[in-house]
Formats: sequence, C-alpha cells, structure tokens
Amino acid sequence: MRRVSKIVAAGIATAALTLSLSACGESSTESGGKDKGVGLAFDVGGRDDHSFNEAAARGVDKAEKDLGVQSKLMTAKNGETEADREQRLSSLAEAGYNPVIGVGFNYGKSVNKVAKDFPDTTFGVVDSPSEVKNVYGMVFAEHEGSYLAGVAAALKSKTHKVGFIGGVNNALIQKFQAGFEQGVKDTDPKAKVTSEYLYANDDKGFNDPAAAKGKAKGMLDGGIDVIYTAAGQSGNGSIETVAGKKGTWAIGVDSDQYLQPGLAQYKSSILTSVMKNVDVAVYDLVKSVHDKKPLTGNKAYTLKDNGVRLSTSGGFIDDIQAKIDAAKKKIASGDVKVSDTPAKQ
Amino acid sequence: MELRGITKRFPGVVANHDIDITVHRGTVHALVGENGAGKSTLMKILYGMQKPDEGTITIDGEQVSFHSPADAIARNIGMVHQHFMLADNLTVLENVVLGGEKLHGISGRARAEIIKISERYGLGVRPDVLVEDLGVADRQRVEILKVLYRGARTLILDEPTAVLVPQEVDALFDNLRELKAEGLTVIFISHKLGEVLSVADDITVIRRGTTVGSVVPSETTPKQLAELMVGTELPSPETRESTVTDVEMLKVEGLRLTSADAEGVERTVLDDVSLTIHKGEVLGIAGVEGNGQAELVEAIMGMRDPDGGVITLDGIDISHLPTRTRREDGIGYIPEDRHRHGLLLEAPLWENRILGHVTEKPNAKGRLLDLKAARVDTERIVREYDVRTPGIEVTAASLSGGNQQKLIVGREMSHHPKLLIAAHPTRGVDVGAQAQIWDQIREARHEGLAVLLISADLDELIGLSDTLRVMYRGRLVADADPATITPEELGSAMTGAATGHLAASDNGSAAGPTSEEGESE
Amino acid sequence: MKKFARFDKNKLILGIAAPVLAIVAALLITSVIILATGKDPLYAYSVMVDFGSKSDSQVWIINKAVPYYLSAVAVAIGFRMNLFNIGVDGQYRIAAFFAAVVGGALTLPGFLQIPIIIIVAMLVGSVWAGIAGLLKTTRGVSEVITTIMLNAIAAAVIGYFLQEGRLAKKDGNLFHTPNLPGSSHFFTIPTMPKPLDGFLVIAVVVGFAYWFVLNRTRFGFDLRTVGQSESAAEAGGVNVKRMIVTSMLLSGAAAGLIGMPTLLGVSYNYGTDFPVGIGFTGIAIALLGRNHPIGMAAGALLWGFLERTGTQLEFEEYEQEIVGVMQGVIVLCVVIAYELVRRYGLRLQQRKVGEELAAQARKTEKAEVSS
Repeated sequence: MRRVSKIVAAGIATAALTLSLSACGESSTESGGKDKGVGLAFDVGGRDDHSFNEAAARGVDKAEKDLGVQSKLMTAKNGETEADREQRLSSLAEAGYNPVIGVGFNYGKSVNKVAKDFPDTTFGVVDSPSEVKNVYGMVFAEHEGSYLAGVAAALKSKTHKVGFIGGVNNALIQKFQAGFEQGVKDTDPKAKVTSEYLYANDDKGFNDPAAAKGKAKGMLDGGIDVIYTAAGQSGNGSIETVAGKKGTWAIGVDSDQYLQPGLAQYKSSILTSVMKNVDVAVYDLVKSVHDKKPLTGNKAYTLKDNGVRLSTSGGFIDDIQAKIDAAKKKIASGDVKVSDTPAKQ
Repeated sequence: MELRGITKRFPGVVANHDIDITVHRGTVHALVGENGAGKSTLMKILYGMQKPDEGTITIDGEQVSFHSPADAIARNIGMVHQHFMLADNLTVLENVVLGGEKLHGISGRARAEIIKISERYGLGVRPDVLVEDLGVADRQRVEILKVLYRGARTLILDEPTAVLVPQEVDALFDNLRELKAEGLTVIFISHKLGEVLSVADDITVIRRGTTVGSVVPSETTPKQLAELMVGTELPSPETRESTVTDVEMLKVEGLRLTSADAEGVERTVLDDVSLTIHKGEVLGIAGVEGNGQAELVEAIMGMRDPDGGVITLDGIDISHLPTRTRREDGIGYIPEDRHRHGLLLEAPLWENRILGHVTEKPNAKGRLLDLKAARVDTERIVREYDVRTPGIEVTAASLSGGNQQKLIVGREMSHHPKLLIAAHPTRGVDVGAQAQIWDQIREARHEGLAVLLISADLDELIGLSDTLRVMYRGRLVADADPATITPEELGSAMTGAATGHLAASDNGSAAGPTSEEGESE
Repeated sequence: MKKFARFDKNKLILGIAAPVLAIVAALLITSVIILATGKDPLYAYSVMVDFGSKSDSQVWIINKAVPYYLSAVAVAIGFRMNLFNIGVDGQYRIAAFFAAVVGGALTLPGFLQIPIIIIVAMLVGSVWAGIAGLLKTTRGVSEVITTIMLNAIAAAVIGYFLQEGRLAKKDGNLFHTPNLPGSSHFFTIPTMPKPLDGFLVIAVVVGFAYWFVLNRTRFGFDLRTVGQSESAAEAGGVNVKRMIVTSMLLSGAAAGLIGMPTLLGVSYNYGTDFPVGIGFTGIAIALLGRNHPIGMAAGALLWGFLERTGTQLEFEEYEQEIVGVMQGVIVLCVVIAYELVRRYGLRLQQRKVGEELAAQARKTEKAEVSS
C-alpha cells in the first residue's frame, strides 16, 4: 500500500507543479480598471476600532461626501507577513484605486515596495516616512499630543499615580509613552507614572481589549487614577475598566473617543483624547489626487499646526485648559522640547 | 440468569463458543478457568461491554440483549473490575455518588444510603475518608458498595482476590456470604481453586473458550477441578532427557530493586534475588502475579536499573547496560504483555519484525534500515513459525493473539539468543500455537539456549523447566525439582506457605494449605 | 500476489476517501456559512479558483507556503513522537532574531555568511525546544505547558533586546536589528512576473530529509516506535528519554529554518514587523497533511491558496473572516475524516484477515478430508 500511495502522492505533486508552471500565461495584474477612487488598507482592528483606523476612515468618509469619490476599505488580519500586506495594496492598485493608503506603520515597507510597481498611482502611508517618489508619508507628533495628556493627567490625578498602557512595545507607541511621561513629570514632579505594554512585539496588542482590561484593572488596584491607553482597539477594554471605578479617568487616543457611539456608555469617564488628525491627513491626500496635484514626500503633523491635539468634548478639562494651552505654547515655541523616546529607567 | 450457546468471535480467533451457564438467584457462582480461557470475554458480554455473535442471555425468564453497561445496570447487574476505578483525591462518598447523582442526591441522603448499605452487608465503609488513604481491601469494598448503591442485585467480581492477602480474602468472602444471605447473586471469576471451593455454591469451568462442566464444590476435589480446568489433552511435559550444561549463561547475584507504588510509597520489589541459568537449562519461576516476577524480567532486560546486585550474561557484567546493548548481546524477550511491550499494533508485520532488533541484521545495514531484507525475513518467519496471516503488510492488530505471539517468538528466535526470557509465553494463545511455542522453546534449549520462564500456568512451568524457583514478595523463597513436584505442591509454596527445597512427597506438608481450604468448605 | 493487490486497492480507496470526504464536508459547511451571510458561495469559489490560478498568485502561494511547510515539518517531528511541540512559534522567532543579530554583525562572503546565519538559527531553535525536552525528561513537565511558556518567554526576550541601544536600531516607527549585508541575500528562482523564493529548494530538501530519516534509518524507526508505543519502544531497547530530547532538538532545528525565507529573502532584518504565528499555522498544516511530507506540502499550498484568494474575496464584498472559517473547518473535517476512515479501515482489515484465514482453514480441512 505504502508504495502505491507514494506513487499517487508523487503524481499529484507533479501534476500540481506542472499546473503551476504551465499557467504562467496570465497574471492577475492584467485586469482592472482606472480611477475607482480611494483604496484604504486598515491595520488590525479594522474600521470600527473607535480609534486609529476609524480616524482614517473619517477622512475617507469626508472625501466621499465632499469630493464624491468612491472607496474600497480592506482590513489586516493578525499575524500577517509582508506578502499579505503587499498583496492587499497591489490588489487595490491593480483594481484602479488611487490613491492607495496603508494605515499604520506596518505598511511602511510594503507601500514602498508596491509603489514602485505602480508608478502612476499615488500611495500614502500613515505613521511611516517614505523615500519613494509616489508615496506620501504621514507622520504625527504623537509625543507632543501625549505631553498635553500628561499635563492633564497630572493635574487631574488625586493619588499622584498615573498609568500608561501601550498596545505593542515598538518605537511608535514609545513616542506616546515618552511624551506622556514627560508631560506628567514637568507638571507634577512627585507624580509617579507606571508604563506598561500589552505585548512585547505582536500586533495582537492593537486588538486585544481583554488584555487591556487586565492591565487597567491591575493599575486601578494599585491606586492609579488616570490611565492613558495607546493601543488601538484594545483601548476600549481599558476605557471600559476605568469607567467601572468611580473617580478615575481614562484618556483616549487617535480619535475623540468621547464622541464614539460605541463608547457612549463610558464617555463620562473619558477625560480627553489625544487626537491624531489622521482624518485630516487622509483627506488632504485624497483631495490632492482628486485635484490632480498629488502630494508626495513626507509630512509631519505636529502640535503647532494642529496635526495632533487634545480633545475637549465633555468639558472635563475646561478647568485646566489654561495650563494646557500654556504647555502647548511652550512646545510650539520650542521652549519645551518633547522627547520621542522614553527616558531610561 | 441463564446463558445459552454464547459465541463470540474475534478476528481470526473464537474467544467464546457454545457457553452454557445457569446462575441461580441468591448463590455465589464461580467461573473458573485458566488465564486466556475466555473468562474475561464472557464477563464483558454479561456486562454489556461486548455483544455476543450468537446465543441468548435470559434473566428471570426474560430474554435480554445488552448494548452497553448501562443496559446491564438497568437490569440490576453490577461489576467490580479487577482494576479499581476510583478517584484517589475524592472521598468515598464522592466516589460512590459520582455518576449516580440522580439516585440519592449528593450529600445527606446519599451518606445515609451508603451507611445503610455498608451496615447491612457488613462492609464497614466510612463515607468521608479520602480514597487515597484507603488500602486495597477497603477500596475493593468501596467498589462493591458503589455497585450496590446503584441497585445491583447481581454482582460480577473479576478476579477479586488477585490483589488481596489471605486475611483480606477471608474478609471478602465473609462479605460475599452476607450478600448471598440478603438474596443477592454473585458471579465470581477466578483461577484459584482453593478459594473457589471455599466460597462458591456452584462452579462452572471454562476451558478454551467453552464451558466444559459444572460442579458442586461439596462433591469435588481441587485435583478434579484442576483436571477439568486444564483438560486431559494437555500436551504433557516429557522433556526429561536433560540438556543442562555446566556453562553459566545468566547469573544474578543479590539483585535488589525498589520502586514507588501507586500510592507513592517506596517498596522493595526485588529483595536479594540470586539465580543462575546454565546453557541448555530452562529455569522456571512460579509465583502469584505481582510478587516481583515482572520487575525481575525488567531488571534483566535493562528496563529498570537495579539498586543493588550484579547481573552477568555469559561472563559480562550487564547490570547497568542499556536495553539495546543487552539485546544485541543476545537476550531474547517474549514479554508478558505483548500489546504493550512486544508489538506495534498499528504497524505492519514487517515493521514489527524490526522492533527490538533495529540495529541487527537483516534489519539494518549500517545506520540505514534494510527494508527489503527485513520484509524477506518477515516472510520467512511467517512461513517457518506458521504465523497465520494473509500477508506481511497487514497490521499486527489484525492477527489473533496466538499468531501475534508466534510472530514474536519467531522474531526473538531469529536472532539466536543466548538467553531467552519468556514471560507467560502461551498466555491467551490457542492450543495449537501453545504446543508450537513449547516445541520451539524445547528445541532452542536443546541447542544450548538458556531460558528464564515465568508462567502462571503451573503445568507449563513443570513441563518445560529443568529447575523451578518460587517467588514470593520479591524473594526467591523455594526451589523444587520439576520431575517430582505436583501443581498442588507448587501452588501452596506460591502463597508463601512453604519455603526451602520442596521435597517430593505424596502427602507432604507442602500440599497442606490447598487441601485445608478444600476441607474448610 | 493477488491477495496483496486486493489489499492495496482497498487501502488506496480508503486513502483517497479521507481527503475527498474532508474537502466535500468542508465545502458544504463553508457554503452554508456563506449563505448565512447572504452571499453566493459558488461565486466565491469561482473567484478563488480564478484568482488563485493566476501566475503571480501561484508564485505568491508557493513563496507563502515555504515557511508554512518548514513549520509543519518542525511540528510533525514532534507529532511522530507523540510530542506536542506548541512552541514552534517561539522557537522560530527567537531563532530568527538571534540569526539576524549575528548576520547583521558579520560581513563575510555569502557562501560563509548564509550558512552561518542558518546554522545559528537552527542552533537557537533547537536550544529553545531542547529546554522543553529536558524539562520533560528530568522533571516530567508536559511539553505542552513548557513550550507555551517558552513562547511567552521568547517574545519577552525579543521584546527586551529589540530596543534602541540594545540589539536594535530605530527606523521610522520600527525597531529592527541591523540589516544583513548584501552578501547574505538568498538566491531567487526567476519566474514571471515575480521570482520564486530560493528557500523553496531548502524546503524540498528538508521534506525529503524528514521522509528519509523517518522511514529509512534506524534512528527514524526508533523515533516512530516511541511515537506508536512508548512501552514497546522501551522494551525494544530505545532510550526513550534521550529520544524525547533528541526529537525536540530536531524539531527546534527545523523550527529555526521557518524565519529564514523572510530574513534572508524579504526583510533582511528582524524588526517589530517580523511575522508571528507561523508556528501555529504549522500545527494546522501538520494535522492536515497527516505528518506526511507530501501531504504537508499539499496542506501548506492549500493554506497559501486560501490566504491569497481570501483577500480577493474581501474585494468581492465577502467577509474576510470567511477564509479563517474555511481553514478551521478544513482542519476539523480532515482530522475527523481521517480518524473515521482509519477506524473503518482497521475493522475492514481485521475482518478481511479473519475471512482469509477461515477460507484457508476450510481449504486445508477439505484437503485433509479428501486425502
């Protein structure tokens, strides 16, 4: 029997190989149309993460409304490789979408690579700079926004203990941590900041609300009363946990999370959100392509030009707005330099 | 309860055929037979674990058909297995109610019921003790109580005395008599004649898968019963022309081995065991199972590392050598449990031929396997050792027990061992295969092979051995001359009743305990 | 000889029955799920077949399948021993990480540099797996527990070192180890429109070695024996404990190769974006391929096919989760189907043997009577 099954198996393998080699004639790139609108590839968590991806989606929504362009939105899965991301971007480009935007630094390399295959298409990538000529790199001064969140947290904390939860311990999220820590220290030198990450290096950190719940619970139990979470969709778990304990505050990220319908029941605990105006950046790019004057190169969206800012919905920080504005002025003027890497402990 | 014409076939072998048994209510009915006579299959049929191919089971005049143990339980039949099925870390109460929660709840009412049953039958079971704190006999009583708790009126006990010491056996029999007095029926499976005669009201003897007779204990003697059990056609042991030489092949000196038992207690399982086997000699070891025979075999095979003593094979100290080296040095091994130790059940026969001899010719060429040679040699073994199989590509599992055993014997003999360890070589093997295996052992002995034979079949031991030793509680306590000893005398030494050299005698003290038990009935 | 032929035919039919049964069942279940989402399953399949058979899709699928296959082999080495090495994921990641560190620090000619990187990866992978093997043999800890724990430890170790100022440098918003020099870029096989990953050759070699060692060597026989019956292996003279450690080392060494196609052919460094989870995919593929070298290759290709075409499904407005569901359903169906067919086959064989022997016996009886 063994021999027979081997022969059969070998036969199948040979057939498969022949098939794969002989079918070289047609490539999938040979189909597709032109100018279908904007193609957007989300990071894990997808459109409804109430945070980062959703901010990008808002930009597309606005473009659809104002400019009348079509759109195609696709989402990354956990544990993807470069090949998966490249395929997603190529599919969009092939189908004729322009611009094609990768949301999240994970798309940094793949956008660069695919952009070279489609020189006539404009690409965009959020959170990653690029050197390719038809790519528009949109980077944000998260550390500056986070600095203001630190100021607010330090002023609002009664226990003088505040916490930071990052989704994944990478360079991007460390910018949030660094700014936040510096903001707290500059405002209240005796305050203690506890910074923790959900995952060391697994992008699951951006869509694992349960893990964020656990971390937040631990922090609350330790007497921390303000928690700033930069973890995409995972942040929802942290906000939910904070809302369960009276007298504590959550600080949101990327979108104005106070206004998120999905988080409405917790909104009275959302002190403020560090908004990355990804929507503005995305809209800018779509509009530029629509106007036939595509943006390229890299653009840093900073505090100074409102690329990042602190939301005021709910009015919880109205009483300290003056101090926040003062801090903002100092950063804008260059009096305070916010570090984008955390101080070594 | 009546069983008529029960027949059960397994692939290639008939386990039971034309079994007829009548069990009367309120009696202790013993089923006796040798190991492998088909008792356990019959019992599984009774308890619904297997379906008979032919025949009928009638209970209280009503014909029944069991598809699962649940059907048997519904008919008030309960079974106490030889290996207890209790959870150590639960209390007696919890063990009893486990799976029977609907009967009397799980607390107050259940406890009351347990105490009631325990008192009625004098079981002395304490409901709140952890099972892990109980001894073997207590555990057995918990098992019995578990069955009674589920409303059993007929109890099947599978070799209940195998794990007990004599006093515990007496206590168990008292319990059984209590049960009988309350009108319950007990089916008692055993191969120990003395016990059977002392407790049973009726005895049915099973041999080679069928019922060969029913006797009443008061009208029979152990000898008659033994003859019924073993049969008269038993190939008789006439290997008297001695082939024993002066050359020492295996020498075991002062072997000691300790091992942790199921409760984690360190026990001495081999205590100062010394023996010598010469070329051309068969040394038989008699003993009730669990007295250290298996451990002795494993120590010689290298599967257990002895704590003391020296094992010498053909002049080489092999006490701590790995098993593979010992096999290469010429130890052949017919294991007691061929399914666990002798075969790869789901592998084809030719792979089974390689098992245990992967480094030796014809199976290997250097570090590579020689599949072609192994296959050819498997064909040869199948032919020469009369392994009944349609081919060598079938799995070992599809052969009958006897043919599996012939394959193992053929494999071990093919490497011309200096020493053959044969543990229960004909257990569960049909008559034809049995005679063949015996012939092969005799033949090899003739050619100078040394054989360590372990068997529960006393006739086999006496018939094949040149020297006999008796093992009891990890020690070799007695020796005997197979030319003169009788199974009865040997049997009494196995219970520890006699030690030293068992002199042949017509009515010697050695036979005492057996006959006493017979008389006590 | 005729007898054998008959057995062969049965087995052949049974051997084909299992995968066919599984695929039919998986298709049916997936169709029901797609229907439940209000979409057309048949169109989905036609999109998949159509897109998956494009030449660039084929290249993509094969390249994607290479690490999956290596992962499946690593898992299968354990499976054949009855060891459940769940830690392949951690093993390949930590192996790739240290290989990247070593590779980034050296500048040697490719013929030295590439083997050094691969060997470092295999060594690190086997050390990581070996820890689980040692703990099992010396302390009796289940390898399932230890390998899961070691996955977490591997992630933490990488997380610690993959920081600026330790073993990594910052590049935009990523941390990664220094780039490998150009000499350590692995060769590719030129095909149109994209090249095939040269590591395909290594995967084929590994698959062949896996088959050869298991089926043609004494060592492989011992290993399989332990997997089939530990007690029989021990009685047969196999040092079971040493075999456990050895096979864990081998499994880990194979796991070390998983990250190499990515490291030497795509990323040229280990960064925070290095792929994770291939070790778990390997478990599914080893199950799918029944630990058989060719079965696993088919499984890895199927996986690549599903992932390639899954994105296209999302394009056609199907839910992207459909592919994940399909993968799960297929593994489940395959496992169930093989088990059913195996049991049926065993029973069939036992009955056949019984019949053959009964027929033989009748013949000899008749012969005796007539003589």
